[in-house]
Amino acid sequence: MSVNRQPRSFLDTRVLSRLAGIPFLARQPMQGSVSGRHASPHRGSSVEFAEYRKYVPGDDLRRLDWRAYGRSDRFYVKEFEADTNLRCCFVVDTSGSMDFGSGDVTKLQYAKRLVGALGYMATQQGDAVGLSCVAEGVVQSLPPKRGPSHLRTMFDLLEQAEPKGETELVTVLHELAETIRQRALIIVLSDLFVEPALLKECFQHLRFRKHDVSVFHLLDPQEIGFEFKRPTRFLDMEGGTAIFAEPNDIADRYHKAMQIYLEDLRQVVLESAIDFHQVKLDEDYEHVLSRFLVGRTSGKR
Amino acid sequence: MTFLQPLLLAALPLIALPVIIHLINQRRYQSVRWGAMMFLLAANRMSRGYARLRQILILIFRTLAIAGLIFAVSRPLASGWLGLTAGGQADTTIILLDRSPSMLEQGAGTGVSKLQAGREQLASTLEMLGSDRWVLVQTTSEGAVEIKSPDSLRKLPSTEAVGTSSDLPAMLEHARDYIQANNAGQTEVWICSDIRENDWNADSGRWQTIRDSFLELPQSVRFHLLAYPTEASSNTSIRVTSVRRFETVDSAELLVSLKVTRDASKNDSITLPVQFEIEGARSELTVAVDGPTLELIDHRIPIERSNDRGWGKVSIPADSNSADNDFYFVFDRPRKRHTLIVSNDPQTAIPLELAASISPDPAVECSAETLSEEQLAAVDWETVSLVLWHAPLPDGKTGKPLTDYIDRGGQVVFLPPRQPGSAEFMKVSWNSWTDEQTPIPVETWRGDQGILANSQSGAALPVGELQVRRFCELTGEVTPLARLRNGKTLFAHLPTTRGGVYFCTTTPDLRDSTLTTNGVVLYVFIQRALAAGAAVLGQTQHLAAGAAAVEQPLDWKQIVGPEDALSTDYAHHNGIYSAGEKLFAVNRVSAEDQSRVLDDDRLAGLFQGLSFNRVDDQAGSFEGLIQEVWRMFLVAMLIALIVEAALCMPRQIPKVEDTGFPRRQSDKEADSTTDRTTAITQSATNTI
Repeated sequence: MSVNRQPRSFLDTRVLSRLAGIPFLARQPMQGSVSGRHASPHRGSSVEFAEYRKYVPGDDLRRLDWRAYGRSDRFYVKEFEADTNLRCCFVVDTSGSMDFGSGDVTKLQYAKRLVGALGYMATQQGDAVGLSCVAEGVVQSLPPKRGPSHLRTMFDLLEQAEPKGETELVTVLHELAETIRQRALIIVLSDLFVEPALLKECFQHLRFRKHDVSVFHLLDPQEIGFEFKRPTRFLDMEGGTAIFAEPNDIADRYHKAMQIYLEDLRQVVLESAIDFHQVKLDEDYEHVLSRFLVGRTSGKR
Repeated sequence: MTFLQPLLLAALPLIALPVIIHLINQRRYQSVRWGAMMFLLAANRMSRGYARLRQILILIFRTLAIAGLIFAVSRPLASGWLGLTAGGQADTTIILLDRSPSMLEQGAGTGVSKLQAGREQLASTLEMLGSDRWVLVQTTSEGAVEIKSPDSLRKLPSTEAVGTSSDLPAMLEHARDYIQANNAGQTEVWICSDIRENDWNADSGRWQTIRDSFLELPQSVRFHLLAYPTEASSNTSIRVTSVRRFETVDSAELLVSLKVTRDASKNDSITLPVQFEIEGARSELTVAVDGPTLELIDHRIPIERSNDRGWGKVSIPADSNSADNDFYFVFDRPRKRHTLIVSNDPQTAIPLELAASISPDPAVECSAETLSEEQLAAVDWETVSLVLWHAPLPDGKTGKPLTDYIDRGGQVVFLPPRQPGSAEFMKVSWNSWTDEQTPIPVETWRGDQGILANSQSGAALPVGELQVRRFCELTGEVTPLARLRNGKTLFAHLPTTRGGVYFCTTTPDLRDSTLTTNGVVLYVFIQRALAAGAAVLGQTQHLAAGAAAVEQPLDWKQIVGPEDALSTDYAHHNGIYSAGEKLFAVNRVSAEDQSRVLDDDRLAGLFQGLSFNRVDDQAGSFEGLIQEVWRMFLVAMLIALIVEAALCMPRQIPKVEDTGFPRRQSDKEADSTTDRTTAITQSATNTI
């Protein structure tokens, strides 16, 4: 597959090669359009036995299990698991706050790396990938499709994505839950600076639509540590009011507020049964990905 | 607050430094583009009370730390002497030292007298404070004397206790005179006293003058009083009230009357051994004291018949004040009391002669003779105990021997002649006679003290029964002893250095008054004056310390008394002294036995308008009046810094990453898988 005709800033071929051995699997049956590597909710003709079912008129007589008839003098139809491809939709938060990064990368750049690697791996195994860039609404959208050319289009879109505006993640997730066809894999990459109670409704909506939901919660170390020495004027990256604060004074209350938020978010995650990954930007994204992929291979949760 | 380096306090504005730095820091802010605003907003919404309080406390403790440092280097002094040295070292320091007997009172269980404690405290304090000149004014000094250093207070004999009461107004006058004469700069006046009423004479009119004169001084003068007002509760004093030599047929004895005084609140009964010492021979008598005072009248002590004249001492055991445990006395064979009546009027002279010649004591011989003024030249004044002058007031030649007589301690009573004349004696003269139609009684008289005082039993003299028909008014400054109902003076006293000068404005003539018919007053009046004259002019004298200074103590030889006393100060030290044939017994003044402490308000009133501060100390106190307390400020500064550091320390809130979501088993497996994958890839890369 020749998707690397032009160098992508968010793609590292060495990382891709190292992760190539780990399959990118869905946690639940997916509803694809073609045969693939993922379990389908329908019975098909693969080699993996699923169950015996009583014969009903109209069934194909070729699928009757004669041996079972011989043993029990009853007609049974032998069914097999169907394998299909998955539709993977990446929802990338491109609001202003995603432009923050105290280290080498911003949150958006980190998200692009994750999307790039996962998109490449999904395309490699024949799955369809799509992309939605979210800020004050859906800024850019690409429906899931298969094929290297589609991947290139998605990479182009990803590359063009710029952090700007406020976050309307909640509204967009509700919208996507309705618009994306059931049983898709939806991967959200955001700093989730939204009230956890609102997020809970979104996740439950997605789960109701039988989507497999994964969330990468991206946080910068400075946002967690809040380590400033001098009085600071904090300018809202999403265009809100600026706040002047003495960090020494406000740090403890900031930490307390963040702790409450994370605790609430943790509760939401547990109740929504989504695949949640908290990511600090100083973490190697290869580790994050491998953890994500391995978790999916073993955790049929 | 008091500081030894007050100039360094100029650095005090530096305490504002933390606040200024804080404000500057506030202005030097940085701008940061920030994504996680929702947490900042939430933090802002949370209670800011503690954070604001903490910020204020941090600033306060930083300020306190700097203030503590500045105060520490300014060398603060801890004492009650507020404003002690503000303004730097004094140019002149004048020490007023009260050496009166009451200053020998000791603190409970210490054995250190108030005087010792005061000297030590002053010496150590003033050494610390420093001054360019040191001046001492003490109880017996006639003026201010410069001393080398405060340490001299510990060594000089002139700082030891004496039997004389202090005259604080006079001492302050000496201090003022010194300041004026020497044009002293900034002056500190230190007074060490037990503030007894008799030493301070708070009623004296001199105080107003002293205050005014100090206020008028161009120099800055500040007064510091080191007071020892605590009165010892277990002190007992003894005083001999009279000594008489009495002769029997084959022996002689002394009749000693004495008075023991205790604290007025003491009503319990104690037995007190009283030791008598007559010319070295000792005897002891135990007396029971049931109340605050005990009077022993005419205690008989046998002596050799040949012992005409001598001295003695009574003592009681040591108590909290050693100054009033001994009393010295001298005795002599009773001397003939001779009265000289100068009169040309027999009607007046006869009653006077009778009153003067009848002795109240069989052992004492009294005589009187009447002379005219012209006969005075032949009089042997050494034999005269009393002069009754019923003639025009003497002047010129006739007045000179009389004045000399008075200066030696003689007693004179002047009565108005029929022709008063215009002569003046000691600035007092007679006016004209006044006739009253109806006799005028006496309305008031001094019964508490003086020549008309009540009798020993407390009964008043019948002065009020006197009737006066004619009297001659006086012109001049005299102290009235008795007044008629119309306000005119009947008896008056003229203050003199030694002798007693009295005026009676009427005569014993029956036409003038009832002094003759009501003879008690006249008799007592004359006999008391006669006794006083005999006591002064005899070969033995009882003198109050200080008052004896008018004698010539330089001629005195000490028989008994303090060994370290200077000969020039003999008149101020209790003891027995001789001068030729004469014997002197010098004892503390009677006011010292019953003196009360001046109350605080009156004391403060004496220094009204002046810069005055006071601290009370106790005899035996080992704490210095002032102490350098910079260590305390240094410790305070350290505490402030520690508290500030504690407040600055961030609160222990668990780190957010520590409370992250629990990692799943699959995550851990993924980590290990990644590690393996990485290792394989690395290995493959190396191989290629």
